[in-house]
Amino acid sequence: MSSASAPLSAPLAARAGRAGRLAGSPTLRFILRRLLAAIPVLFGVTFLSFVVMNSLPGDAAQELLGAQATPSEIHQLEAKLGLDKPFLTRYWDWLHQAVIGHLGHSLSSGQSVASILGSDLPVTFELVGFAFLISLALAVPIALVSARNPNGVADRLSMIFSMAGLSVAPYVLALVLIYVFAVKLGVLPAIGWVPPGQSLWQNIRFLILPAVSIGLGLLCFYTRLLRADLLEQMQGEDYVVTARAKGLRPWRVLTRHALRNSLFGLITVVALNLGTLLGFTVVIEDIFGIPGIGHELLQAIDNRDIPVIEGIVFVFAVIVVLANLAADVLYSVLDPRIRYGQPTE
Amino acid sequence: MSESLLEVSDLRVDFRHDGRLVRAVDGLTYSMRPGQTVAVIGESGSGKTVSARAIMGLLPPSAKVTGSIRFDEVEMVGLSEKALRSHRGCGVAMVFQDPTRSLNPTMRIGAQIREAIQTHEKASRGSAQDRALELLELVRLPAARERLEQYPHQLSGGMRQRVMIAIALAASPRLLIADEATTALDVTTQAQIMELLRDLQQRLGMGLIMISHDLGLAASFADDVVVMYAGRAVERAPTQMLFAHVRMPYTRALLDAIPRLENESHAPLAAVPGQPPNLALREPGCPFTPRCPSATDRCREHAPVFEEHEPEHLWACWHPCEDRVRL
Amino acid sequence: MANLPSDLVVAGVAPRADEAAADRVAGRWRGRIGVIVPAAMVGFIFLLCFVWPIIGPVPPPTGGNILSSNLPAFSPGHFLGTDPVGNDEWSRLLYGGRASLEIALAVQAIGLVLGGLIGAIAGYLGGWRDATIMRVLDVLIAFPGLVLAVAIAQGLGPSKLHTIWALCFFSVPAAARISRAATLRVREQTFITAARLSGTSFPRMLLGHIAPNILPQLLTYALLGMGIIMILEGALSFVGLGVPPPAPSWGNMIAQGQSTLSAAPRYVFLPSAALFITVVSFNLLGEGLRARWGSQ
Repeated sequence: MSSASAPLSAPLAARAGRAGRLAGSPTLRFILRRLLAAIPVLFGVTFLSFVVMNSLPGDAAQELLGAQATPSEIHQLEAKLGLDKPFLTRYWDWLHQAVIGHLGHSLSSGQSVASILGSDLPVTFELVGFAFLISLALAVPIALVSARNPNGVADRLSMIFSMAGLSVAPYVLALVLIYVFAVKLGVLPAIGWVPPGQSLWQNIRFLILPAVSIGLGLLCFYTRLLRADLLEQMQGEDYVVTARAKGLRPWRVLTRHALRNSLFGLITVVALNLGTLLGFTVVIEDIFGIPGIGHELLQAIDNRDIPVIEGIVFVFAVIVVLANLAADVLYSVLDPRIRYGQPTE
Repeated sequence: MSESLLEVSDLRVDFRHDGRLVRAVDGLTYSMRPGQTVAVIGESGSGKTVSARAIMGLLPPSAKVTGSIRFDEVEMVGLSEKALRSHRGCGVAMVFQDPTRSLNPTMRIGAQIREAIQTHEKASRGSAQDRALELLELVRLPAARERLEQYPHQLSGGMRQRVMIAIALAASPRLLIADEATTALDVTTQAQIMELLRDLQQRLGMGLIMISHDLGLAASFADDVVVMYAGRAVERAPTQMLFAHVRMPYTRALLDAIPRLENESHAPLAAVPGQPPNLALREPGCPFTPRCPSATDRCREHAPVFEEHEPEHLWACWHPCEDRVRL
Repeated sequence: MANLPSDLVVAGVAPRADEAAADRVAGRWRGRIGVIVPAAMVGFIFLLCFVWPIIGPVPPPTGGNILSSNLPAFSPGHFLGTDPVGNDEWSRLLYGGRASLEIALAVQAIGLVLGGLIGAIAGYLGGWRDATIMRVLDVLIAFPGLVLAVAIAQGLGPSKLHTIWALCFFSVPAAARISRAATLRVREQTFITAARLSGTSFPRMLLGHIAPNILPQLLTYALLGMGIIMILEGALSFVGLGVPPPAPSWGNMIAQGQSTLSAAPRYVFLPSAALFITVVSFNLLGEGLRARWGSQ
């Protein structure tokens, strides 16, 4: 990266501090404004899911007691669980507890929702994080090689493969991978999960196939995006001409100049992807038997376990909102044009 | 140091654009000695920028270059890309028009200068940084030490152009090409930058090629002037001679277009009528014909030859202007 | 074209300057092929799934004879074999494709019309109306559609129609976003202002002026979205929605095939391959159109 480690002389430090404070203030206000705008969204999402869940036939009490239960038993349990209260009351009860962080308890297991989330979220994060890692680590070099020789052999190949990769459904890829690696070759396990505390190696082994299932599509998407951006920079930007005029080799121009500027666009897209990704994660977790948030969600819907569902939906929505916000903020923070404010004469 | 720094002979550059062959430069010839300043004047589309790029070796591989460019007795045309790369920045360097877009917005000034230094010589980061500081001081950038750590957008246009010049000087080139280097700046800054360039040139003994559409600028700073039109050189002379005895109707028209204090107020500006020609369509005859007040049938049919008609004064015209009493 | 190739080209990496006169014509044809070939593929797939079962010798996809179950490929009468309950795989593939395509078409059509309209209205009107619509869209996009899908599956039961509703949940807000962005761009153009000043009514503005200008973008997006919707339909089958068996859809065939993956992988691979080829065709078509129309 750039000379970020060079010691700043005193006058510069003072000026940077001033500039930083000046820049920080509008950024902070921007963040605050966005957070405020996000609140109705969170409200809307949780309310909507509450509505949806309550329109379903049956409720937690029925699920818990099973098909043999008598109506009076059900009513008893409902009263105990607070399910007999009117709809809006129940939502309000949940809401005003939720905003202070009390997400309630599971209706089926009694476990606190917070602890359920606490044990499941890290699993899902690890899976998604692994997928992102694979996709980004490969997308950058592939895009660079493609952009080095547009319409060359490497470029055309990577375009063909990325188009194919984009067109594969993650669950199809999952099943194909299971068939090849677990069933036929037997080198990787198909179902299950091992916590990293127990054995990091095993943990990774169980996560490889699911991470690739999610990651391949991401990889193809990011590669195409980055390549297009790199080409735009190389073909359209004046500073590229300057770089060439210095006598730099084309590869260096790509990596030291164009890539820097293209990474911005990529980062914002990565942040925005997060939301849509969560949906597919549910299916993947289901196929591979990974005890993450997705799996938990499916079970909770089965059990009509509203507090758990609300908790998960709430977290999902928060993640999506934060991701969108992060995309905007990251862009303004990383771009030195915005970070360092106005020109000093 | 050789007698001749740069010799351009019959330079032709062809591009393929939209399936057509475009001859951007058509037989350009001029030369310069070390320490000399040559102004290449023309409208947009005259081929001045492309010829400069050809001297830099910055044209895309698809461009067909014929003719000869001898820099320091070394033939540039036909050199491999690798050889051209070592030449760029080190033998010839270039300063571009728009310093805002020509500097990488996400890279610190110091890093951009260091890059120019370290491409051509083995230098540690520390010594490169020292040299970068020297360069910034050489181009008279105030508060140079702080500027090293700043980003381009934190500097004004004039300052950015100084940085561009510093980058260009990093590897001690023997020839500096300023491609409309001051066009994007305000008049005061323009004068400052031009003064700086002249000063640097004299101090470092560089050759300087000024590319511009501004004859007035050439008058103040250049030793020789080459006027280009439609990819060809149409007039060339030492500055004094050119302005004293303008021959080409085109040059005359350019001169007349410069607003003068002596003219009556509210007198209409004499612009050059018409448009520059479409370079994809090569007509026989002089390309300036449609816009020339002195054009005849002969001009339409036969292209005049660019040759030395008077000592040190070359032009290509069947009906050159007579000496006129000039105000 | 009185000007030189710009500095952009001279900057060096642009292949455009490389194209000779022949290339220029070839370039146009390349653009056309980029659209024609995928369009033909898509057309062929539609023909296979919609027309061929009617006119050709294709046995019904359901009601198979349990005695002829699990037949391998190239068995007499069933060139792709049969499924665990005796239905002809080839037939299931065709009818499954039809179901999946019908769903995707319906979803995209609704998305295009409804979402396109909402987005255009929001983009055109601006102000608080735009802000409100955007908020609502944000909520819909942030809402985990899978929850809704599972809920629908559990509450209303899986069916083709319900699957379409669930998928519209994705397609309508997405189309609205695209439509709004496109409308915002079009709105700035002078002919819009001119039309407004001459007193054109709101519906006419929308339909007569805005719509034709945002349609290419929307259509390209709709085509590119066909692939995603079909993939999503499959995902829904995994969580209990989708087309209810025994009627086939590629989605539920893949989901069902999961249980017999090691023993008989073809139950997964056949519909997967079909889905893949179809999605690729739609993607190529969308890209081809975008390349052609974008360059204008």
